[in-house]
Amino acid sequence: MRKYIAIVVFTLLVTEASNAQQDSTAATDSLLSKKLSQQMQPQVQQTQSTAQPRNSINTNPNISVIGDFQMHYYSNLDKNFEFNFNEAEFTFQSVVDPYARADFFLSLEKDPSSGNYEASIEEAYLTTLELPADLQLKTGKFRSALGRVNPLHPHALPFIDLPNAFVNFFGEDGMKREGLSLSWLVPNPLDFYQELTFEVTDVPLNNPSFVRSNVDKYFFLTHLKNFWDLTPNATLELGVTGMTGPNDSSFSTNVGALDLTYKWKPLQFNTYKSFVWQTEFFYNTAKVAENSKVNSFGMYSFATYQLEKRWFLTGRYDYSNLPFESSLVERAYSATLGWYATEFQKIELQGKLSSSNYQDQFSQAMLRWVFVIGSHGAHQY
Amino acid sequence: MKRTLYIFIILSVVYSISLFADSKIRVVTTLPDLKSITEMIGGDKVDVFAIATGFQNPHFVDPKPSYILKLSKADMFVTVGLDLETGWVPPLLNSARNAKIQKGGDGYVDASVNVPLLQVPSSVNRAEGDIHIYGNPHYWIDPIRGKQVAEAIYQGLVKSSTEHQAYFQANLKTFNDRIDAKTKEWLATLAPYKGTKIIAYHNEWPYFEERFGLKIVDFLEPKPGIPPSPNQLVKVIGEIKREDIKVIISSPYFTTESADLVARQTNAKVVVLATSVGAEDEIKDYFDLFNYNVNKLAEAFKQAYGK
Repeated sequence: MRKYIAIVVFTLLVTEASNAQQDSTAATDSLLSKKLSQQMQPQVQQTQSTAQPRNSINTNPNISVIGDFQMHYYSNLDKNFEFNFNEAEFTFQSVVDPYARADFFLSLEKDPSSGNYEASIEEAYLTTLELPADLQLKTGKFRSALGRVNPLHPHALPFIDLPNAFVNFFGEDGMKREGLSLSWLVPNPLDFYQELTFEVTDVPLNNPSFVRSNVDKYFFLTHLKNFWDLTPNATLELGVTGMTGPNDSSFSTNVGALDLTYKWKPLQFNTYKSFVWQTEFFYNTAKVAENSKVNSFGMYSFATYQLEKRWFLTGRYDYSNLPFESSLVERAYSATLGWYATEFQKIELQGKLSSSNYQDQFSQAMLRWVFVIGSHGAHQY
Repeated sequence: MKRTLYIFIILSVVYSISLFADSKIRVVTTLPDLKSITEMIGGDKVDVFAIATGFQNPHFVDPKPSYILKLSKADMFVTVGLDLETGWVPPLLNSARNAKIQKGGDGYVDASVNVPLLQVPSSVNRAEGDIHIYGNPHYWIDPIRGKQVAEAIYQGLVKSSTEHQAYFQANLKTFNDRIDAKTKEWLATLAPYKGTKIIAYHNEWPYFEERFGLKIVDFLEPKPGIPPSPNQLVKVIGEIKREDIKVIISSPYFTTESADLVARQTNAKVVVLATSVGAEDEIKDYFDLFNYNVNKLAEAFKQAYGK
C-alpha cells in the first residue's frame, strides 16, 4: 500500500515539476521574443571608437599589505618600553561574479604574551550586490555592526589604543564572528538614510561579555543606523545597537549601545580642514545567577580636528565600569597627534593618563606607524 | 495608535506610487560636468544627480551614506573612470544594492571609454606620487573630448531607454555641433597666446593644455598629490624668472598660499581656473566651463603681454 502511495506522490511531483518547467520555458520565451523585438529596432550607430587598450587588465583581486608598527611606554610596568610590530594585514578584494563580492583580511599578529606571530582570518566574507527590497546579505567571518569602533580596522582609527569601555566590554579584538548579516535600506517618507542590520553569529570562546556555552550557541545583534546631511559641509549619524548572547555563567547578557557622530568638512577645501566628534555609550546587563544581575556602563567621546592638510589632533575621554563588577571604575584622558604623509602612510603619537578606583594612576605613551602597499580601498564614511 | 498606523500605511503607499509614477531615467554622475552633458543629451527624459560639487577636489569626496540612497534608486551611473574616483566610488557602489549600476551592468557608464588618453604610464611606482595607472583622468577639461564623453553617455541612455533613441541622437548631434562651433571661437580667443608657457598647481590640465596650445612648464606640487615643498617652489621661481612666465594656474580647491608666495617673488599672476561645472555661480553648464576658463586666461595673458 505504502509503495503505491509513494508512486502516486512521485508521479504527482514529476507532473508538477514538468508543468513548472513548461511555465518557466513559456516565460523565458516571451522574454526572449521581447528582447528580440528590441534588438530588431534600429541599432545604435557605432561610431569609430578611438578607445585605447586599458592596461593591467586581469582577474586578480585588489591586493594590499598593511604594516602596523608600534612603540609603547608604560609608567607602571617593569619592562616599561617595547617595540612591537603589531600586525601585517593582507587584504584581497574583488567581485566574485555579477551577484556578489568577496573581501578577505588575513592577519599575522603578535601574541602579546608569547611574542610569537599567529596567522588568523581577521575577516572573510561574501556580500551580495543585489537582493530584492534593498536587502544586502553578508556571510562569513566579519566584524559585527556594533556602533562605530567595532566595524573599523584599528589602523583606520585616529588613535592607537581602543577606548577602555570597548576593550572592557568586548575585548582587544572586538566582536568579529562567523555567521550571517542581513541589512535593509529602510524606505522612509523623509528620505534620509536609514539602515537596519540584523546579525546571527556564533559566540566567542573568550570574551568579557559573551562566552559560548553548551546550551546557547548564538549571538544576536540588531543595529539601526540613521544618517542626515545637516548642511553640505556637516553630517550627523545616530546609531542604536542591541545585542544578546550567552555569558560565562551560562545565563545571558544583553548589551545596548548608542553612537553619535558629527562630522564637519568644508566641500571646497576638503583636504585642508575637518572636524569629527564621536561618542559611544555601552550598557551591559549580565544575568549571573537565577536572581542576580550585574549592570555596568561605559562610554568614550573623542574629537578630531584637522589642523592642516597633513596634521590631525585628537582628544579622547574614556569612562568604564568593568562588566563583571560595576563598582570598579576606570577613567582615562588621551591626546593623539597624527601626521598623514599620504593616503598610504601615517604616523601617530598618543599620550594617555589612566586612573581607576582599584589601581594607581599611570601614564602611557604610544607611537604608531601605519603603511600600506598595493591597492588599499577606501574606508566607509 | 490605530490611526497612526493608518497614516503610516497611507504615507508609504503614496510614497511608493510616487516612485513608480516618475518615469524619467534616474542618473547619478560623479562630477557635475557629467551631469551637465547627461542633461543635454537626455533632455526631459532624465533626472540627474551629481555627487561632487564643482569646487570640490574630485579625488577626495566623502562617500556619505546619503549618496548610497541615490545610487540604490538609480537607473544609470556615470563615472569619469581611470581611478579618479577610486577613493570614494567603490564603497558607495558596494553598498548600493543595485546590480544595474555595478561595473559590467547595463547602467554603468565609464565616460572615458572613447577618450584618447594622455600620460598613460608604461610603469607605475607610488614613489612618483598619485599616479593614475590608466592615464591622466582630467580629460573632461577638453571640449573635443567632451564629445567622446557625450557619445558614451548617449550609448548608456539608449541602453536604459531604447524607445527614446532618436530623441537622444538628435540631442547628441546638437551637442556635437555646438561644441564644434564654440571650440572654434574658444581657439580663436586664445590663438594669439599659442605656445605661452605657464605654471600649474596640480597635473590636471594636460588635455586643456594640448587643446589650446599652451605649455605647462612645471607644477607647484613636486609630485602629483604631494603638497608644494620649499625646494619645489624655489625651483619653480627659478623657472619663472628664466623663462619669463607670467601666469600660474590653480584650481578652486587648492589654497593659494604657495601660488601667492611664488607670485610675490616673481611677476607672475595667479589665475584660479574652473575644473568643473559649478565651480563659480556663473558656470551653469559644460559650455560655460570653457567660456569662463578661456576668457579668464585670455584676460590674464592680455594684461601680462599687452596684446
